[in-house]
Amino acid sequence: MSLSPQRRFVTPAAGEAVEDLARRALPDRPVAEAADAIRSWNLHIFAMRRPAGLLLCSDVVFVEPPRAAAAA
Amino acid sequence: MYDIVIRNGLVIDGEGGPGRRADVAIAGSRIVAVGEDLGAGRHEIDAGGKAVAPGFIDPHTHFDAQLLWDGHARPVLEHGVTCVIPGNCSLSLAPLRAADRPAVIGMFQQIEEMPPEAFTERFAKWTWEDFAGYCRTIAPDLGVNVAPLVGHSLIRLWVMGADSQQRPATDAEIAAMQELLEVCLSDGAIGLSTSFVDMDAEGRPVPSRFADFRELDALSAVLGRAGGRMLQVVPEFYDVDLTIARIDQLAELSLRHGIPTTFSPVFDSKATPQAAPRILARVEEQAALGARVWPQMQTRPIDISFSLLNPSLFLARLPNWWRLLKRPLPERLAALNDPKVRADLIADCGADGGAAIFGDLIIRGGDGAPAAYAGRRLGEVAAERGEGAAEAVLAISLENGLDVALLAASGGHEDTGRIGPMLASPLVHIGASDGGAHLASFATYGDTGYLFSEFVRRSGHFTLEQAVKKITADPADIWGLADRGRLKPGLAADVVIFDPSTIDRDVERPVFDVPGEGMRYTRSAIGVQTVLVNGEVAYEDGAYTAAKAGVICSLEAA
Repeated sequence: MSLSPQRRFVTPAAGEAVEDLARRALPDRPVAEAADAIRSWNLHIFAMRRPAGLLLCSDVVFVEPPRAAAAA
Repeated sequence: MYDIVIRNGLVIDGEGGPGRRADVAIAGSRIVAVGEDLGAGRHEIDAGGKAVAPGFIDPHTHFDAQLLWDGHARPVLEHGVTCVIPGNCSLSLAPLRAADRPAVIGMFQQIEEMPPEAFTERFAKWTWEDFAGYCRTIAPDLGVNVAPLVGHSLIRLWVMGADSQQRPATDAEIAAMQELLEVCLSDGAIGLSTSFVDMDAEGRPVPSRFADFRELDALSAVLGRAGGRMLQVVPEFYDVDLTIARIDQLAELSLRHGIPTTFSPVFDSKATPQAAPRILARVEEQAALGARVWPQMQTRPIDISFSLLNPSLFLARLPNWWRLLKRPLPERLAALNDPKVRADLIADCGADGGAAIFGDLIIRGGDGAPAAYAGRRLGEVAAERGEGAAEAVLAISLENGLDVALLAASGGHEDTGRIGPMLASPLVHIGASDGGAHLASFATYGDTGYLFSEFVRRSGHFTLEQAVKKITADPADIWGLADRGRLKPGLAADVVIFDPSTIDRDVERPVFDVPGEGMRYTRSAIGVQTVLVNGEVAYEDGAYTAAKAGVICSLEAA
């Protein structure tokens, strides 16, 4: 059995801001647009957390939308 | 002559095979024979009409504090549980410097809903700092066996101090954490626990959440070198994609270091019916590649009770309510008597006046609630009083000294037809009881009895023997408790004698036995006749004995 494809993610490096992470994870997109996309895909960090957007090195940060949504 | 012989019972040895009529003989703390017509014992127990099984193992508890004043971990022992695993979710009570005790008490209060008095009342006994000291402190009074995890947050706090909640660790700090974990494992810890979701009393992520994967990998290497010890985590269980990401991380650590890993909880929910099946499918894929990633699933449906006497998870989503409940009682009462504060609280609950949040809750009896309200829907009572739902919660609470409890009876994980097959999967670990925590929210006891009443007798998803295996030999194998979980000569004499036709959990009720006159919900056992721990009768015919035969069994497993 092989692993089925799942939503891709990265973990933040120490001191990394969302823009840095966007540059690293989505190098083919403009940084601001990529950072906005990452924010929208990671509401557990950028909406639900207090303070919103606090990045922890243990975080799972998705670098693509939910697969079901992407397929729809 | 044997010390104890249990006669005429249906012996279910824990391995899943058919039960058989046999006797069980015990000498000292060991089972020495299982068979027919065994010789006499100094003490004989008639188990006619009953099942005789290995003591049950509860892998997810927070009895760290309770074991300081109650070595039997009441009431789990009377439910047949003879071994508990505390120290889950990154939290243990050692290693912990004296100066850091208030911070850790705050974490237990915030995450596990345990009153600070449960710790401070026992400060006189709190003399340890290292893990060995904690084990030495609880060991003399143990009536139940304990296999404690050490919490990652505690390891981090010890090594990094306040920086543990500021930044990732340096190479030197990671090396120090590895060294400390090695010592804890030698001193009685069965493994390491960590958390990706929890907050401290100030609303900051707990120390374990500041660790990068490199740190977790380094600590997992220590678990591997120690013979393959357990890594337990709390993932972001509210989101299936996040949980699957954590499964993949655990699988990576399991394969790289040869360790078992477990995560909890996994809930089934009608709102997201594909979540639990997707999680279990990922576990299956990783297991096929050789990774040991054990999801823990509880047997009982989710319910939650609360009053305005204590902070409650139920109200955590309402910021003004949550802040109010964190204030000392006199301040809280004064605030609640202020109409402006009440208006703000009601506004917190939405345009329907809190009908969606509170309307279907049941007003519990047995406390300060008027008898005429007990057992009725809050929405119905509110309408009768001419109040909105949130307004009624506040008014009825104030009229009765805040001592009015409300029950949210249908919190999910309640569809037996869906849950039974998941529990029966050989890849699913029955656990997540949370025993010893969430004291004023729900009774975390009796999941084992509920396994038999609901999933053996009512739905038939398990045979009696399969159910016993699921909570004895299976967890013993998963956690490396080689001396427990089976009725076999040479193994520890942890035995439960119960009536298969009646074993169950009793109704939830409040008791006031937490130090500092604290309240907790509890459940008594039904159908459990006798419980033996290491060859001594610890519970019999509805009463606990004075036996204190429990041990730190992870030291034996080491």
